[in-house]
Amino acid sequence: MREGKQVDVVGLTKMFGALKAVDDLTFSVNPGVVTGFLGPNGSGKTTTLRCVLGLLRPTAGTATIGGLAYRDLPEPIGTVGASLEAASFHPGRSALAHLQVMAMGAGIDPARADQMLAQVGLSEVAGKRVGGYSLGMRQRLALATALLGDPQVLILDEPANGLDPAGIAWLRQLLRALAAEGRTVLVSSHVLSEVQQTVDQVVVLSRGRLVHQGTLAELDRGPRGVLVRTPTPERLRDALHGGSMKVVGSDESGLLRVAGGTTEQVGHAAFEAGVELHELAVEPSDLERVFLELTEGSAQ
Amino acid sequence: MTGLVRAELKKITSTRLWWGLLIGALGFAALQSLVTAVFSGVEAGAGQPTMPGLDTDEAIRAVYPMAMFTGTYMFALVLGITGMTGEYRYQTITSTFLVSPRRHRVVTAKILAHAGMGVVYALLGLLVVLVVGGTAMAVRGYGLGFDAERLWVTMGLAVAAVAIWAVVGIGIGTLVRNQVAAIVLAILFTFLVEPLLTFALAAAEMDWLVKWLPSNASSALMAPGEVLVDYLDWWVGGLVLLAYGLVLAGVGVLLSVRRDVS
Repeated sequence: MREGKQVDVVGLTKMFGALKAVDDLTFSVNPGVVTGFLGPNGSGKTTTLRCVLGLLRPTAGTATIGGLAYRDLPEPIGTVGASLEAASFHPGRSALAHLQVMAMGAGIDPARADQMLAQVGLSEVAGKRVGGYSLGMRQRLALATALLGDPQVLILDEPANGLDPAGIAWLRQLLRALAAEGRTVLVSSHVLSEVQQTVDQVVVLSRGRLVHQGTLAELDRGPRGVLVRTPTPERLRDALHGGSMKVVGSDESGLLRVAGGTTEQVGHAAFEAGVELHELAVEPSDLERVFLELTEGSAQ
Repeated sequence: MTGLVRAELKKITSTRLWWGLLIGALGFAALQSLVTAVFSGVEAGAGQPTMPGLDTDEAIRAVYPMAMFTGTYMFALVLGITGMTGEYRYQTITSTFLVSPRRHRVVTAKILAHAGMGVVYALLGLLVVLVVGGTAMAVRGYGLGFDAERLWVTMGLAVAAVAIWAVVGIGIGTLVRNQVAAIVLAILFTFLVEPLLTFALAAAEMDWLVKWLPSNASSALMAPGEVLVDYLDWWVGGLVLLAYGLVLAGVGVLLSVRRDVS
């Protein structure tokens, strides 16, 4: 077990000139679970993480890890492991040298550099210069960097970017295992589907503001409607007319969306009116759509 | 702190740049020493002052420590500049400050590590000028001149001066974070602006001002006496140079401690 620490962001505001990148943001990240930090590009995720890590000075508010500001942590990378951009390596330095530099600076046994490279599957290219690495390899190196200090808290900014499907599956397992050990894991993404199967909790940002904190299930509004296919759509509309159910749309193939009722109710109404049906199904919930609606209007 | 200094040294030696700069420094020092040894005491053309002969202490100091310094200091300066600006250019500054969020410690470690590299450059440079300059002097029939007055003291001071120029580079790098701009500015200043200022001010009888410029302070440290301008006392020159390095680096510390890293 590796006991995690709670990350608290309280009233955080960050201005860049006249631009308010983060606006009075408050949320907590708990140990033992994977928390998704979601929002479109430009919604303030990276700015928030940089404030948490002491790289940016907040205009107002605080960000603490286990009650301490990052710069006051006695063992910074032994407490928080972070990777912000996969690109931030010197292209002329090898992966091994990069990790050794960090280990030396933090007073960590440099032998851990080799272990971490083995853990992320980069042992074979450890001595090669990072300039020749693919984006996926850089992501793995960034993860090795974050794990170097065996941290209690892991903060990863868009770690799935550039990973192939096998890499994403591997990352998912790794993050779940780290959280199961009791660590705090915060993973940002602008694509919900990327982290949907990984995260237990989500913090959703839009234009620098918090729009949702809680479980993904809470975001799920349940089935959205009923999908119906009929050769006589007009007759179905008439049959439903006056009741609580209503045809709210159709796609090019003639599939109708009915709101306000269950499949049973729609089927019954059609049967009563003698309308022929070729298809009748529950329209599945669409988290991605809920997510888009929540974050609608964000920059980009 | 030891760990941070070791990390900074590892940063320098784990990329290729320091080799290239070292080769440049040694080559330039060798050339400087050779040219000085060959032309010392040779009758110059009309109107040109004759350089002092190889039998003078002054010429021998010019062949050894002065040649080493002239060849090496610019490369040490560039090493210092890239030691700081490279972190911003490749965004490695993020992981550097994550490892050590108390940023003044990082800049201090950089200063110590680059001063150390300056010493390494200078010592290797001395080795080169001793071989090249010594050979040239021997070929011309003079001795090796190792008994020249103040020769070994001047060598020590020259080593210190190169180290300080590397520290000046760190200071410049914290002020101007764009690598190309910082290097171009530094080279323009030391190769063009400073010599021109020296000539112009010296011509205007303003020695009292010109002797405080960094290159002239370096020269004062190693070659007391009057050449073009009235140099400072050697120890004052050394202190002035050190002050340039520390003030620039100090400003750098203050700036980098408060600055946002994005």
